[in-house]
Amino acid sequence: MTIRFHRLKTSKKDHLGVSRRMFLMTTAMAGVTTGTMLGNRAFAAPLDAGQDATLLRMIQDIYPHPDLLEVSHYQAIAEAVISNAESDAAAARDLREGLARIDAQADSLFGTPYTGIEDPDAREGVLRAFQHDGFFQGVRWTAYFAIYNNADVWPLFGYGGSSVEYGGYIDRGFSDITFVPEGPSLEERMAQVQG
Amino acid sequence: MTTFEKTDDSVVVIIGSGAGGGTLANELAQKGIKSVVLEAGKRLDTSDMENDEWTMFQKISWLDKRHSAGGWHGAVNHPNLPAWIVKGYGGSTVHWAGVALRFKEWEFKTRSTYGAVEGANVEDWPVSLEEMTPWYEKAELKMGVTGKTTGMPHLPWNNGFRVLAEGCRRTGRTDYNSGPMAINSVERDDRPACQQIGFCMQGCAIGAKWSTMVSELPRAEDTGLCEVRTDAMALKIEHDETGKVTGVLYADSEGNQHLQKARIVCVAGNSIESPRLLLNSASSMYPDGLANSSGQVGKNYMCHTSTGIYAVMPEKVHMFRGTSVAGVVGDDVKHDPARGFNGGYYLEFLSLGLPFMAAFLEPGNTGWGRSFSRAMEQYDRMSGVWALGEDLAQEQNAITLHGSEVDQHGLPVPIVAKTPHNNDHAMTAHMVESTSQIYDSVGATDIYELPPYPASHNMGTNRMHADAGKGVVNGFGQSHDIDNLFVSDGSQFTSSGACNPTLTIVALAIRQAEYIAQEMTARNI
Repeated sequence: MTIRFHRLKTSKKDHLGVSRRMFLMTTAMAGVTTGTMLGNRAFAAPLDAGQDATLLRMIQDIYPHPDLLEVSHYQAIAEAVISNAESDAAAARDLREGLARIDAQADSLFGTPYTGIEDPDAREGVLRAFQHDGFFQGVRWTAYFAIYNNADVWPLFGYGGSSVEYGGYIDRGFSDITFVPEGPSLEERMAQVQG
Repeated sequence: MTTFEKTDDSVVVIIGSGAGGGTLANELAQKGIKSVVLEAGKRLDTSDMENDEWTMFQKISWLDKRHSAGGWHGAVNHPNLPAWIVKGYGGSTVHWAGVALRFKEWEFKTRSTYGAVEGANVEDWPVSLEEMTPWYEKAELKMGVTGKTTGMPHLPWNNGFRVLAEGCRRTGRTDYNSGPMAINSVERDDRPACQQIGFCMQGCAIGAKWSTMVSELPRAEDTGLCEVRTDAMALKIEHDETGKVTGVLYADSEGNQHLQKARIVCVAGNSIESPRLLLNSASSMYPDGLANSSGQVGKNYMCHTSTGIYAVMPEKVHMFRGTSVAGVVGDDVKHDPARGFNGGYYLEFLSLGLPFMAAFLEPGNTGWGRSFSRAMEQYDRMSGVWALGEDLAQEQNAITLHGSEVDQHGLPVPIVAKTPHNNDHAMTAHMVESTSQIYDSVGATDIYELPPYPASHNMGTNRMHADAGKGVVNGFGQSHDIDNLFVSDGSQFTSSGACNPTLTIVALAIRQAEYIAQEMTARNI
């Protein structure tokens, strides 16, 4: 089952540009300073050498939000994935082998490790081959909760979250848009239900 | 708090505390009739209700093991969550959004209206709209439904519904409004007015939305004639040698088993657990399960033909602000065979929070990547609907018992099979087309179509029929086979109608209470 996207009009924003910018930024960092950003964690366990960069790139490609999220946020997700793997040897092996298969697939198709593929659609295509695998879904759901179920991130998406502690949205813009007409007034709503 | 002896065989035992069971308990109590309500989940009140989608999902959902089966996408994408219903004090009225619509006249007469439909098992109800109308009015007064019955105005329109309503106006539709809703627009019946908090389906934190949790159950308990026993999972209904039911075996939170004696047993555990309990109560006298001489127990599982449709607008909408289901469009609730399908459908504005949008925009393993992420970045410009329409009964859509796998109580886990009928595919295409037209007229740039959610509207698995060979219960929810055994929830429904089932469940429960009182007085049961 895949979602059906009904594109009605051309959308204003082209994401290719921003994704490419992010790609260049993060691969540079992954190559040079990933160790620093992840707190100089020793990657011998649970990942093999270089796999930290593959993991980071993979997480960014699963939920790419280059205009909204900082690279540090994706780094934190990578840390969480690694930390989960450290306490579960079987999961660590699945992750290590899975990342190796991603790089092998990238190498066979493009002659480069995964992080070396510049075209984001091509990288997504590589990942699609692994999307039903347990290791992939483990990484994916860790990223899901860290991004979309994270109250610190919600404002970046324009989501307000909990309101009861502020008395609801009744005085906080529940009906504040101006591009369509207002709804009926209390008097009009009262009149509808009389008689 | 009143308690009854387990040996007290004068009580009515009600299994489940939701719209059917909770209402029935209070109606009986107000008539002086004693009851024990066995609720599988824990006690809940408004202080448990948090404005957080996943926190509340974990806190209130029925998460005991179940299997999804059949041809719907959930068999793959929601393999253990066929239905999205509540385990707790108040049942699924904690989760319901408050939409309180009545069935249309023809929806009680689907066989007469549609004729025999190939591949479906469509029948007429043994009750009519005319007969139900006074009970609907009682239900609307009890629940506080905005509209003419109560004189309570509909709720103010929030951003998301205003976009939908303007699209309706521009496309020539006329039947759209912010009600009828069982949510107070003014203070009424000791409950406050809605504060546009949102999170209606995570449980109203202030009790502005009617639920049996805030209304029927506490009132029933206040009479001293009703004991609501929580953490009490019904395992088996027992009967005597004459075939009459005599009590209910249940397990407490520690797994200890108890037998509560009963004069009458009313089953209201929602359309999966109710037939499951009847099937699990099979005995040498009733080898196919209780009340199952028709063979229809567990069959005809219906859950509304549905889809979510979200449109991206040119400007911010912030649909999450305010009532979750903020308005209803009824223009397509009609039977018009020229459209290529039987029955009608509603479009109901429905906001999702960011977490649930990200989970249900494209459920399953494939919901990630650049298109997905781009859609999520449009979240604050979305308005959308849940489209729901008549789901035709089919015998193959059924609740059955697993042959070997058992739950924590040792009972076979239920398998919930659902395969769409061609009628569903034709109706869904029409829903998407209508909704796209509406939103296109207000400048939508993208439309996203979501596959059905795990069902919250579960119906039909112990259906009513005038003919004891074609249904499980009569027009009062009384079992055809066993006079003192009743079904009191949405599993009684003969057809699904297009509308949300709760108002009809409540109206039927009020009517059933009257019937039970009358039959008890006459010593018929």
